[in-house]
Amino acid sequence: MRDDHMKAVKEIIASTVKNNISVEAEKWLEDFIQSTDKSAQLAKVFVMLPRKTGKLPVAINNDQQEVLHAAGFGYIRNWTIDRLSRVWLLAGFDLGDKERLFSTINPLFLSAEVNEAVALYSALPFLAHPEIWVKRCAEGIRSNIGSVLEAIMENNPYPSENLDEAAWNQLVLKAFFTEKNINLIIGLDKRANLDLALTLIDYAKERWAAGRKVNPQLWRLVGKFINAEIFDNLKVGLQRYDQIEQRAIALAVSQSDYQPAKDYINTFPELKLALSEGNLNWDSF
Amino acid sequence: MCCSSSIERDKALMGAPEAFDISAVKGMKFFDPHVHMTSRTTDDYQAMADAGVVALIEPAFWLGQPRTGLDSFRDYYSSLIGWERFRSSQFGIKHYCTIGLNSREANNESLAEQVMEILPLFIYKEGVVGVGEIGFDDQTAAEEKYYRLQLQLAKEAGLPVQVHTPHRDKKKGTQRSMDIALEHGLDPYSVIIDHNNEETVKEVLDRGFWAAFTIYPFTKMGNERMVEIVKQYGAERIMVNSAADWGISDPLAVPKTAALMKMRGLSDQDIELVTYRNAITAFAQSGQLDEADFDAQKNVDLTEKFEGNTILRGGQQPRTDKSSIIIS
Repeated sequence: MRDDHMKAVKEIIASTVKNNISVEAEKWLEDFIQSTDKSAQLAKVFVMLPRKTGKLPVAINNDQQEVLHAAGFGYIRNWTIDRLSRVWLLAGFDLGDKERLFSTINPLFLSAEVNEAVALYSALPFLAHPEIWVKRCAEGIRSNIGSVLEAIMENNPYPSENLDEAAWNQLVLKAFFTEKNINLIIGLDKRANLDLALTLIDYAKERWAAGRKVNPQLWRLVGKFINAEIFDNLKVGLQRYDQIEQRAIALAVSQSDYQPAKDYINTFPELKLALSEGNLNWDSF
Repeated sequence: MCCSSSIERDKALMGAPEAFDISAVKGMKFFDPHVHMTSRTTDDYQAMADAGVVALIEPAFWLGQPRTGLDSFRDYYSSLIGWERFRSSQFGIKHYCTIGLNSREANNESLAEQVMEILPLFIYKEGVVGVGEIGFDDQTAAEEKYYRLQLQLAKEAGLPVQVHTPHRDKKKGTQRSMDIALEHGLDPYSVIIDHNNEETVKEVLDRGFWAAFTIYPFTKMGNERMVEIVKQYGAERIMVNSAADWGISDPLAVPKTAALMKMRGLSDQDIELVTYRNAITAFAQSGQLDEADFDAQKNVDLTEKFEGNTILRGGQQPRTDKSSIIIS
């Protein structure tokens, strides 16, 4: 589905870049594209780019916005022009040979300052040969810079489509740790797994032990996997009398097939009522 | 978001700023067995010395961003044994360090291989009291590989190991760290498991390891919780550290926790064990740590230089008057 849209998305990005930069900057980029030693020049152009494009938020027309939205890239409207231009620059950079592509783009990650890193990770879904960037993406998750993590975790289709389970679980866990908007993680429900659910429950127990609250979205990733052992932990959560946590656990249980947990929820009149009214969903937390 | 623990939210709960009243533990000595002074200022050294910190251990860690070449590791390790040790000495604080390849950077395998080659040049140096901090961050195969190799190195060198336990998936990471240390034939009494919490402490102590706790604002362990842990588990094989680094952290965490313990009725003996004595006992197994050296360090010679450099800049006096409102 996404592949069908990709060509249109790249075209919109290209025209948006052109519409949002000066004639002088356009010529500068055009000269680069026409040059015969693009690989050698890429790093300099990539780093220098904001000086030419400025850093204003991009303007995208409504029709284009609709296409982007349908393809899952609607979030681009919130980017600045330097970020979009950098992504466009990298997206068009297909040398055919994947080793050459890797050896040209990878060094940019090593010397990247924050805005460059944000652009590089934002470009992952657009780069050729997605499989060669998996380790780089996993390394990015080890960053402790908020905006870099957001570029990887939020609104980015690359991780869920390409990361192995260990790296994916690390991304989700770190998103909870660093208080990212869990709702914006693409592929969250699709890639839920038992290992992650058990790890998140351990995390919830640590939070409880420290007297801290637990992000209700955590239970969204647990629901599918409820068994007798997990149920025991859910009971502890339900007994903590935090209404938001209780409601999230109730919603998770309602999405599971584990009957003893469903029966237990029904012993809480308030939760039973909230579920029967059908007002609870993960967007409400 | 519903449950942000961001600074904004917590500010309201923090109340009005209040100066730390050291009087409750005046005259006591403290040892911070885990603090990253490279990231701290001279003011911190001064405040620590004033609060009774007489010695510390600086474990090798990462700088907040990955290093890209071997030379920056070499320079970093050298600075822990060189300039930082000297800087600390200028405040009368005995500085030790542990040396290791940290878990996050173990994931850069080609660089990690090179770092492993230079580690033996550093772990045998004077004042290196252990291999550390090593262990897991996101628990990858590469992290496990270099954790094992470094445990082996520590075993051969007869050095204690300072184990960093992961922030995420801590319980499993802690269990795994201990399992692997035992597999390599290390005596749990020579392994300090760091960054514990209520969910990990029991197993660490039951299995015979040292349990270190990091008092670090907003995230790891709060010192009120720490008091409860010592009340519940006693003072044996427990130690407290600040792990102060480039993050929002408090280099006075150890004396502050001691003060809180005193106010909450813990015995002087227990306080001394968890904020001073236990760390010395554990790391002295290296043969590189002698309590007598702390006293010698107290006689600060401010005319000393390190490779021709001093911490004093043109005409500076060695101390500033902290009670003065004027900063001149």
